[in-house]
Amino acid sequence: MAVILAVVQKNEKIIRLSAGAVSIASALTIWLFVSPQFFGTEVLITEWFYLDRFGALIASLIALLSLSATIVSVRYIGHEFKDGEVKINDLKLYFTLLPLFVMAMFLVVVTNNTLIMWLALEATTLSSTFLVGLYRKRSSLEAAWKYIIICSTGITLGLIGILLLGYTSQAGADQSVSFLISDLLKNTSALSPELVKWAFVFIFVGFGAKVGFAPIHTWLPDAHSKAPSPISALFSGILLNVALYAIIRFQMIANQAIGGSEWTGKFFLFFGILSVVLPAFMLLVQRNYKRMLAYSSIEHMGLIALGLALPPIGVMAAVIHMIGHSIIKSGLFFGAGEILLRYKTTDTTKVGGLLKYAPYTSSLFLIGIIFIVAMPPSILFVSEFTLFSAMIKAHLYLSIAVFIALGVIAFGMLRTTIGMILEKANTTDLNETREHWNITHSVMLVHIIAVILLGVWFTSSSGTGFVVDIIKNLS
Amino acid sequence: MNSFQILATILQGLTILLVAPFSVGLVRFTKARLQGRRGASPFLPYYTILTLLKKEMVISKSTSWVFRAVPFVVLASTIALAFILPLVFSGGALAFASDFLVVAAFMIVGSIFLVLGGLDSASAFGGMGSSREMTLASLIEPTVILIFGALAFVTGSFQLDGMFAQSLIFSAPHLIILMIAFVLVSLAENARYPVDNPATHLELTMVHEAMILEYSGRYLALLEYASAIKLAAFSILIANFVFPPVTIFSLSVGGGILAILLAILKVSMVAVLLGWLEMTIVKMRFYRMPEYLSLAFFTAFFGMMVAVYVKLTGPDIKYYTVFAAMSVFFVVLLFGRLRLKSILRYYAASSLMIAGIAYSLALMAPEEQTHLLIFAVVTIAVKVLLVPYVIKIMEKQQRHTANLQSFLRPASSYLLAALLLVFVFFIVQKTPIFALVEWSSLLFASVGLLVLGLATMIVHRNVFSQIIGLLVVENGIAIFTLVTVKSLPLIIEMGVFTVTALTALILSLLGSRIKYFYGSVDTEELRNLTE
Repeated sequence: MAVILAVVQKNEKIIRLSAGAVSIASALTIWLFVSPQFFGTEVLITEWFYLDRFGALIASLIALLSLSATIVSVRYIGHEFKDGEVKINDLKLYFTLLPLFVMAMFLVVVTNNTLIMWLALEATTLSSTFLVGLYRKRSSLEAAWKYIIICSTGITLGLIGILLLGYTSQAGADQSVSFLISDLLKNTSALSPELVKWAFVFIFVGFGAKVGFAPIHTWLPDAHSKAPSPISALFSGILLNVALYAIIRFQMIANQAIGGSEWTGKFFLFFGILSVVLPAFMLLVQRNYKRMLAYSSIEHMGLIALGLALPPIGVMAAVIHMIGHSIIKSGLFFGAGEILLRYKTTDTTKVGGLLKYAPYTSSLFLIGIIFIVAMPPSILFVSEFTLFSAMIKAHLYLSIAVFIALGVIAFGMLRTTIGMILEKANTTDLNETREHWNITHSVMLVHIIAVILLGVWFTSSSGTGFVVDIIKNLS
Repeated sequence: MNSFQILATILQGLTILLVAPFSVGLVRFTKARLQGRRGASPFLPYYTILTLLKKEMVISKSTSWVFRAVPFVVLASTIALAFILPLVFSGGALAFASDFLVVAAFMIVGSIFLVLGGLDSASAFGGMGSSREMTLASLIEPTVILIFGALAFVTGSFQLDGMFAQSLIFSAPHLIILMIAFVLVSLAENARYPVDNPATHLELTMVHEAMILEYSGRYLALLEYASAIKLAAFSILIANFVFPPVTIFSLSVGGGILAILLAILKVSMVAVLLGWLEMTIVKMRFYRMPEYLSLAFFTAFFGMMVAVYVKLTGPDIKYYTVFAAMSVFFVVLLFGRLRLKSILRYYAASSLMIAGIAYSLALMAPEEQTHLLIFAVVTIAVKVLLVPYVIKIMEKQQRHTANLQSFLRPASSYLLAALLLVFVFFIVQKTPIFALVEWSSLLFASVGLLVLGLATMIVHRNVFSQIIGLLVVENGIAIFTLVTVKSLPLIIEMGVFTVTALTALILSLLGSRIKYFYGSVDTEELRNLTE
């Protein structure tokens, strides 16, 4: 619907407002759709849909973040339009592709057919390419190019895994090929473990490119730093999680077919460690605050992967971490967008005196950074604490290494941010008007309050019970 | 030997002798029409030869008897070929003489005398043509022996007559490799493009024409006629790889006439194809001849290896195997190319072969027939036509054409491709899936395409080749689908095709924008975002 509206209308203001309205409607629809699973325990299985509480959780995150991102986009893209950075056709394109992108992600999460999941995942890449390359500039094009080439290749390789998995299901009782997740889960005993391992390797490496695991992460910082900020927020906050969701689904099948989670756990452990350690080095020397946030996303994906490698407590931590990271990181990208609008640069050395010129943005941004490096009031503190309690028992030395990396990351990010906020600006053409409270700030504030409340809730027994219910479906 | 066989052999010889000038004329005529000229009548060579016969001869005083003997020896050797080869009929009176070594000897006698004739007049051109001819002949000879040796091994007959008694291609599809090698050699042997230019007397290009430069009048007529006969004989021989000659034992009067008409049809068909070929390619420099002929040699060698392997281990070679091999082969060719147009052409050809695989599987699996046929048709529509078209349009949007860069030169690209394929061959045999699938050759092809596609994306450092590389990977997965689950649900299948088309569209749109902003499509330029 939003697509039609966006294409039909000429006036840019109406497009923006209608997109906002439609996104509220679609977010509500998604919530209504998933709520029975979200609060109940039963799993919805039909020929088309497969939705358990974990899926419902991710779907609600999609709804929340897409709503916030669209609201922020209404302001952000409008501002860019006024500045002449975005032409009317590109603006239309933006508000056409945005809902398509969100729908594709939603489809990944709710579908029962692995092939439709593949199609939807590929659709997220295709629909978001021009969201990344929205600005007709060299650097945006380069980012978009890397993004689509790496992700498409990865996802295409993932298809091999899915086909192999479907093919092994042929050996089952009824001799027919089935690609349904529910069928695969039901007949795991019939799958040949050997082939399932091969399939899982392809799926992990292929979809892992989209998650941004360390050696294949190169598209991620580029795309995140060059895309418009609301899109970066969606990418970092939810797209990575959606791709991870796909891997987790196949991990469930593989675990049952192989009979144990050690084998798949090794993958998560290896890529998790790499994804935490590598960004630590990059964050120390980072001079671009959007890239800084992007590397931090890689690190957090690594942490979630580490959690998934250590069931059952680690999985619990991973789920909490996923929720927390989505909400905080998207808020941070909204803040980064505000800074970018004001300073027109992403170079941290050119940004300064944020506290003086943009007190609201800077304080919210700083709170966000403190939360993302998992300082105590944050929900991420809860999850990382849980994670390490599991990890120290299993892999002592590795957890020390990860711990050091986390310390380095915290230092690097805080140093950069404090510098941005307190140091004197050294650009000449500075917009010295004081900023007003605007809708982006409200959205960021809502995210931060949500995170604090969730953090408190997850430490209570009802919150823990909720997470335990979620991971019950995952093992 | 009965009178019937003798009659058939005489008929065949006369047919070839009569048709020969027409075949030369038809090639010229087709070429002219395809080049947008009106062209002379295809029957012109008859008049040319008759006119030459009436003309006075000019013979240099410094020549010896060899010069005068050459036209007769050359003509005699080609006429002998016209009689003994299984062209119109097989099993004729002289079939015993069609041992491939004997045939090769007849050919070599002809060319030795041509060479002597070129030398004898002691003119500069003649000597140059002769030395070139000998260089070529020494390169052609081993290939010819390889080809016919392999055919003899497969068919169990040393006589060409026995070899062509059945349709070689239909009974054993893998022999198509030998046929390709034979076509390459025949082009060289008959002094056609890309080895020699039959149309000019330019010293830079000519080989055959240089040797007969000193001849005039009647002698020239004989030599022209001899080369026309040779062309006609080779044309029919190539066609006989697919459609065998009529065997003499099942012959009536009507059948004989039909066989002769068939032979004329074959000559015309091959001549038209030759005209088309000569329109599309250009002559190679003479110093690249060893490259061309070693390509022919290796094709023949490869064909022989395959033939021997198949004969000894005895698997039934099916059409899908041939199609699979061809689809990989086209990608290997693509791998070494740097022009977008030829890359797209090879991609389309490779996709067409995939449609062929689906079609041949459809013939074998009746329960999935409609589905596989739909797959084949949509593959042709999307991957052979739509996708290359879209990419071409997008590339053209920016006027200035850019050269596509690669890290490797063509020769080393081919070497790398070959190494990768060997590697794939051994790896795939180790995987557990190898034991499960029904059509292992398709599995090889699919993994081969995957690896080559990825290699294309890495080695070719330009935007458009990377697009094609991704599409090749997608093709590999299409074969993988066929080999594992045979067919996906229709709606998914269409979804996959849509994704392919959209990927191509979006990527080429991006590519054309990159070209606009960067002024080049070199991916080495896309390195600004590293911090």
